[in-house]
Amino acid sequence: MDSIVLESVSKIFQHRPALFNWMGRERSGNTQALAQVSLSVARGKVLVLLGPNGSGKTTTLKLVSTMLLPDAGRVMVEGADTRTEPHLVRKHVGFAIASERSFFPRLSARENLDFFAALDDVPRKSRAQHIEDMLARTGLLDAADTLVMKFSSGMYQRLGMARALIKKPSVILLDEPTRSLDPASVAHFWNLVRELPAEGSTVILATHSFNEAAAVGDSVAVLHQGRLAAYRTVGGSLVESLRSFYFQTTGELDESAELMPRNFR
Amino acid sequence: MKLFSMKLASLLDKMAAIARRDFLTAIRYRIGFLIAAAGTVAELAAFYYLSRAIGPGFRPDGVEYFPFLLVGTGLYTFMVMGINAFLSTVQEAQQTGTLELLMTTATPAPALVFLSAMSAFAGNTVQLLFYLGAGLLLFGTPPHTPNIPAAVVIFGLSLAVAVAIGIMAAALQLAIQKGSAVVWLLGSGVWFMTGTLFPVATLPKPLQIVAELIPITHSLNAMRLALLQGSGFSELSGEIGILLMFSLILLPFSMMVFSHTLRRARLEGTLSFY
Repeated sequence: MDSIVLESVSKIFQHRPALFNWMGRERSGNTQALAQVSLSVARGKVLVLLGPNGSGKTTTLKLVSTMLLPDAGRVMVEGADTRTEPHLVRKHVGFAIASERSFFPRLSARENLDFFAALDDVPRKSRAQHIEDMLARTGLLDAADTLVMKFSSGMYQRLGMARALIKKPSVILLDEPTRSLDPASVAHFWNLVRELPAEGSTVILATHSFNEAAAVGDSVAVLHQGRLAAYRTVGGSLVESLRSFYFQTTGELDESAELMPRNFR
Repeated sequence: MKLFSMKLASLLDKMAAIARRDFLTAIRYRIGFLIAAAGTVAELAAFYYLSRAIGPGFRPDGVEYFPFLLVGTGLYTFMVMGINAFLSTVQEAQQTGTLELLMTTATPAPALVFLSAMSAFAGNTVQLLFYLGAGLLLFGTPPHTPNIPAAVVIFGLSLAVAVAIGIMAAALQLAIQKGSAVVWLLGSGVWFMTGTLFPVATLPKPLQIVAELIPITHSLNAMRLALLQGSGFSELSGEIGILLMFSLILLPFSMMVFSHTLRRARLEGTLSFY
């Protein structure tokens, strides 16, 4: 059974010229963000989207989350169509977006999570414990009561992950989730992602990192200029000498050692 | 019945979460919070001295000028601030980057905008009560016994009208990222025609006709009649009927416009533009 299905999905962004465009140089025209992309992700699997900037990775995630609607084709999440049943889709999807600007700056991490948990119908009785668990899981317990405007980029990313997981979604979307994390945190995060399928979640993760793809993915889809350029399953490990050198010199815990050895098949 | 009570409990839970967010954010902008409170007091003082300077001879609609001003500006400010709250909800969510995320939660977007604005309305209601309470202290009790039940009905209908205009401002913000145009219009082009500071009857005839088409004009007139002249429901039936008609037309229309605009923003990818 597939949790996520994209059928011939196309998305075009239109750039309307400004009223007095002769005064500036605003670009007008269209951008084909996705063209006839078909993909599916089986329940409990991790699909990694790889591709250069502007290849359509984030657009794909936004289409699955209902932030965007497709111009053509169909996106199905747990059997619900994002176009006709978006309310059902939203109950299933947790999205950790790449932007840091997605929290209320004058609320603490705990208060932000509490707010989003309430909107996501997390039961009031279990909410506090659930938030505590998520903060612990993403390594933010010590900063739980700090206003998020004082957070570093990496802390924002951890909080974004905690928010995506707070409602225990069956579909988790992660957009460049380790972009601002230090190497120790990256390994911790990869282990966290690998735990999600065992909990019944299906994951789509967009990244530029081949190491990340090898570490967490069951399959990889490569997007290029809005088209699906390649798709393959993943297994095995890529061990880099720099990694061991880094951990030896910094003395930080290398949790990546706990990962199963994986290589591209 | 059980489903209804569950839905109501969920709605109240969300309302509480939004109100808590707004309260915590407001008090953490410490100086801004104090300035807003001081501004209200300064405004009251200005109205008091303005009415004294004008003198007791000026009695618009047969009542003293200070209570006339107090009810007019109090209710007008309440309505415009409420309308602005809808706009701010969308605008701030666009600027803080939370809008896209909020639109992917299990809470439907119209409910989210509505609950956020209700939270702001609650704050504005406190300000309105402060206005009227201060008026009672400074002015003493009005010569006529206020018709409180009628005032509550007028307040409810005024709220419905403000919600409808607010939702349209929010839709405009989503569509062209300039919903502030509605508030600007209310703040600069419309207010003088609604009878906030002086009676509508003093305007030229063509402007009086335009004033009749603005729902706020009827809100202010009806509220003054109920609070300052103690008018009964039969005397107020005309104004209440007009406000009811505005509510019944504008509320569904505004929801339709908002839903359409939201869908369009999702199609065009402009949800987070600002």
